[in-house]
Amino acid sequence: MSKALKSKAQVVRILIPAAKAAPTPPVGPALGARGVKSMDFCKEFNARTAHIEPGIPTPTLITIQPDRTFTFITKTPPTSYFLKKAANIEKGTGKPGHEVVGTISLKHVFEIAKIKATDDHLRHLRLEAIASTVVGSAKTLGIRVVP
Amino acid sequence: MSLLVVVRRQSTTFVCGSCRVRTYAAKAGKKGGNPSAPGFPTKLPPVETTYNGTSSCPPGTALPGLNYLKGQPSVVALPDEDYPPWLWTLLEPKNLVDDGPGGKAEKVQLRKQNRQRIRDQNLLKTQ
Repeated sequence: MSKALKSKAQVVRILIPAAKAAPTPPVGPALGARGVKSMDFCKEFNARTAHIEPGIPTPTLITIQPDRTFTFITKTPPTSYFLKKAANIEKGTGKPGHEVVGTISLKHVFEIAKIKATDDHLRHLRLEAIASTVVGSAKTLGIRVVP
Repeated sequence: MSLLVVVRRQSTTFVCGSCRVRTYAAKAGKKGGNPSAPGFPTKLPPVETTYNGTSSCPPGTALPGLNYLKGQPSVVALPDEDYPPWLWTLLEPKNLVDDGPGGKAEKVQLRKQNRQRIRDQNLLKTQ
């Protein structure tokens, strides 16, 4: 058995505020533990998310190769973030289905779906399908959707 | 007498017909509950979910939070005609056309049953 086959590429999933990556936790330890220089990552991340309003949580997928080089993909902000902003609430309910914490119109749902449709991994879906997933997310947050 | 009431007060509440959700024991004396307290489950008023020509969001209302790109002007609601027709049917329950054995309706039913069975089994494991 050759020892030359080192560990496979590791994937780190993390939510980082756009253009505000810093070496401090949570980013620092998550990357540092895998041997990536967090400063390099932060500079590249901030450059790539410069077009986004700063501070918006951006899900990123960081793939770290065994030789400590990394690549990363950024996605659109989480649907729950958009829904909470649209309904003007801080947190979703603790009892989905029994409590309603906000109301939203189908027009909000449409616009959110439009944003999510720009995401790579949703490219194959019809806008109608994406919109129905947004409605489902609203349900779990306790946000009522009205026409 | 009141002690008995407190002791016998159940620590589980019925959520739906077949499953009980464990909650903290209800406090004695809070039988009616306080409707004005925040978070009290008020009876949800029935909401119109069928589109009847006019949306609840008039054109021109600002939709907050959706301009996530830098320098993007705030997103504004358009008049109802500018939205695709399928949007207004999103809230209606899907009616499945029965295509007989092996059809889509059967698949959806089976998936629903399987998931419910898993949930019941998981609940039993916690008991």
